[in-house]
Amino acid sequence: MNLYHSYATINQKLAQGVELHYGEEEASVLPRDPRPLRIPRIGVYAGTGTSHSWLWFAELFDRMSFHEILFMTEDMVRDGFLESLDVFAMSGGDTIRIAEWLGQEGGRAIESFIREGGLYIGSCAGAYLPLKSSKQHLDRFNFVDIKIANLSKTRPEAKRMGRKASTNYGCDFVYHPVREDVCLRTTGKEPFTGFEYFRAPLYGGPSMVTSRDSDVLAYYDGFTEKTLFLVEESLAEETLLGKVAAARTAMGDGHLYLFGPHFEHPLFPIANHLVAAAIFWDMKKGRKNWKSLDSESILEGPAKEKLVRDIKREISNSRIVAVGLEAIPVQWIIGCKTYEPEKIRVFLEAIWKRINTLERSRSVCAQSETCEEVVVTASRVTRLLRQMKSRMDDHSDTQDLAWDLFDSLRRLAMIFLQIYFDSFGRSLDS
Amino acid sequence: MDYLSSNKILIVDLNTGETSEDALDDDLVSQKIGGVGITSSLYETYKDRDPVILGTGLLTGTLFPASALSVISAKSPRTGYLTHSPFTLKAGMELKYTGFDYVVILGRSENPVFLWLHDGVADILDAAELWGKDVWNTTDLLRKSMGDDLIQTLVIGPAGEEGSDLAQVCVNYWANGDCWGFGKVLGEKNLKAVALRGMGLLEISDAEDFVDQCFEIFEAIKGSALEGKRGVEDILIALGESDAREWLAPVVHRHSACYNTPYPTNTFIYLNEDPTTLTEPAEPEPGFMITDIGALLALKKSGLSAADAGHVLRACARRGVDPAAVAEIIGKTGQKDPKAIEQSLEGLQGTVAVPQGAKFSSWVPQNPIFGDFGLSGESSLRDWWVRRQAVAYLFGIHPIFANMSPELSEEVILEMVNKGTGLDLSQETLDQVIEDICS
Repeated sequence: MNLYHSYATINQKLAQGVELHYGEEEASVLPRDPRPLRIPRIGVYAGTGTSHSWLWFAELFDRMSFHEILFMTEDMVRDGFLESLDVFAMSGGDTIRIAEWLGQEGGRAIESFIREGGLYIGSCAGAYLPLKSSKQHLDRFNFVDIKIANLSKTRPEAKRMGRKASTNYGCDFVYHPVREDVCLRTTGKEPFTGFEYFRAPLYGGPSMVTSRDSDVLAYYDGFTEKTLFLVEESLAEETLLGKVAAARTAMGDGHLYLFGPHFEHPLFPIANHLVAAAIFWDMKKGRKNWKSLDSESILEGPAKEKLVRDIKREISNSRIVAVGLEAIPVQWIIGCKTYEPEKIRVFLEAIWKRINTLERSRSVCAQSETCEEVVVTASRVTRLLRQMKSRMDDHSDTQDLAWDLFDSLRRLAMIFLQIYFDSFGRSLDS
Repeated sequence: MDYLSSNKILIVDLNTGETSEDALDDDLVSQKIGGVGITSSLYETYKDRDPVILGTGLLTGTLFPASALSVISAKSPRTGYLTHSPFTLKAGMELKYTGFDYVVILGRSENPVFLWLHDGVADILDAAELWGKDVWNTTDLLRKSMGDDLIQTLVIGPAGEEGSDLAQVCVNYWANGDCWGFGKVLGEKNLKAVALRGMGLLEISDAEDFVDQCFEIFEAIKGSALEGKRGVEDILIALGESDAREWLAPVVHRHSACYNTPYPTNTFIYLNEDPTTLTEPAEPEPGFMITDIGALLALKKSGLSAADAGHVLRACARRGVDPAAVAEIIGKTGQKDPKAIEQSLEGLQGTVAVPQGAKFSSWVPQNPIFGDFGLSGESSLRDWWVRRQAVAYLFGIHPIFANMSPELSEEVILEMVNKGTGLDLSQETLDQVIEDICS
């Protein structure tokens, strides 16, 4: 069974106005339920502090034809954009930085969204964020009573990748026993049915100890040939195996799904399926109006071609420099995260692979200021990359440029993907 | 064209500063094959607008052995008719990956510009800062400003800007097979350079079989007559210069092959440092890469040492002037002092003989090298050379290597092209196209 195709069919049928029910015919990939299905409106958090993993959510949603997507910054969270959404997805990054930039107001907006029936999906940093914490910034997000199992009073000795093996967490240390693929086992609770064992990659996400308020959906069950041990194997086993990898918690009328591993990673179809199942199962029951774009936002003919050509030009220029940078041994520290040159292309490729689709389409959906912003931001990325290459050739420091570059890449990918999803989510043509 | 092609012909109008694209029609490929077959056809279409046409062969940039060649076709200031120049190293391959199979450059820009071709995008950009720079500095500036050391360039130097008939279009830093004065043609267009970079992919019709057979052909070549030979020194020896190895030995540093070419036809020599050094060079520009065997041979015959010949060749490359023409002209004067020769390059004029009706570059030695092609008789040799070059220029095969390797027969080439494209090109079509382009 092609899981992506199954969900794409559901979403396409729903977009055509076909009435579908959970577990029936085209929707048989989902558990049975008498409720009718409807298209979810999903916010993907791409604000300050996020890494590149929110792009994996974008990939998953694209493959499964979830096209009512809103990419959100911290300002949008604070400004009430969550009110029109059914689902809010938060992926990885620097948890404390994410919390700091969302601030108290952002924390309240997320809490209120969930309490009013919204679904919060958090993986990795997105899973740490709502856990109980007294630490500065995180104390605005004490939503669920789940404990972090990979927490220690002393910093465990790292076998490799010391900087990625642990991080300060107040007076304690959050440590990351392994990276890459781990084995997981579901508990069979809805909506996680149909698969007992599956894999997902762990890149610093939590292992959890839940209270009775939460449903355990999946446990860490074992390691794989790809698992990379950052601490002694015995400590990794003790920290992870039998601990909670995925949990579901109610809050008010809404729910939180917290995933230690990245269930949204594009190489893990079963884990992706579970994300989609969670979305349909627990998305917000009622919703307010979705702001639709007016007809002036639809670009056709030469205007559309120019926009796509301008974007393509800059992304090509940037990719060409970025590939060259990958041969240079350099790292940057941004917040508490380490960035390598390879990360640059993760953002650029997310755009590049979709440009052909926009080239072929008859029209593109974007406000005029968005068109200008995407091209200006793309030019800025090219300029920063060229500046970075020039400084590296001169053996000069590039840390300040890296801050600016990764922030610009994040904004560029956000704006572009918003144009992309708006263009195809509204069934203009494809 | 779906396979071994990006399916695009780019039209660059330097008068208006605008570009447009045409699809590469399957019928055109079926009739004209590619490379100079199609550049000649495009030349006819646009000849009223003084076109310079860059073109790839169907095999250019593939895994087929020696698939390094692209061509420049234009009316030569030296002959007054359409001629073709090869360009290799990594630039021939890179053109294919820019997303354009053919580039037709029309008209003249009001101000100096350069053309930046990348990933299916063509930009005509201001070259005010490049104009007046020599070839080496131009390539350095282009790579620096665009942030990538792998950008391939076709560049003119001061000779092209000044309108010398001896001006050459150089590849990156090095001499190239342009013996037609195309450097002058670009200079007249105010086109300082064409920069190339692409990260696309080529689709292959029968990919698995095509790749397997490419490796098989490689294996056959490895066991052939060129086994154990390398660099320009062995080519010179094959051409009858039995003392070439000893002559070059004091300066030879390494040999270098063009893209996917089984024989290193280029030799890097150290002029400012000891070539036996095993550490990184202390000098930023320690030497020079010899890419023009004919020019080197002529300088050797004029009595220059290899080091002095290297100095002359380097000066020619920086200035963007055809080193073979320079070697021929100074050979007549008897001048042997490299500094004096270098000084004479500014404003150098002279006439260089071109064989009647020649269309392909004399950069490629006129004899078979290493390989036995079963030839006999002088007229047969000339006919063989022209046909061999035509085949190389049509399909994108390195034209020097084409004269080394009988393994790359027309039959093998046609079979592989048909496998890669899904077309059904016949020997009759090939014969007809060769007749057309040579007439």
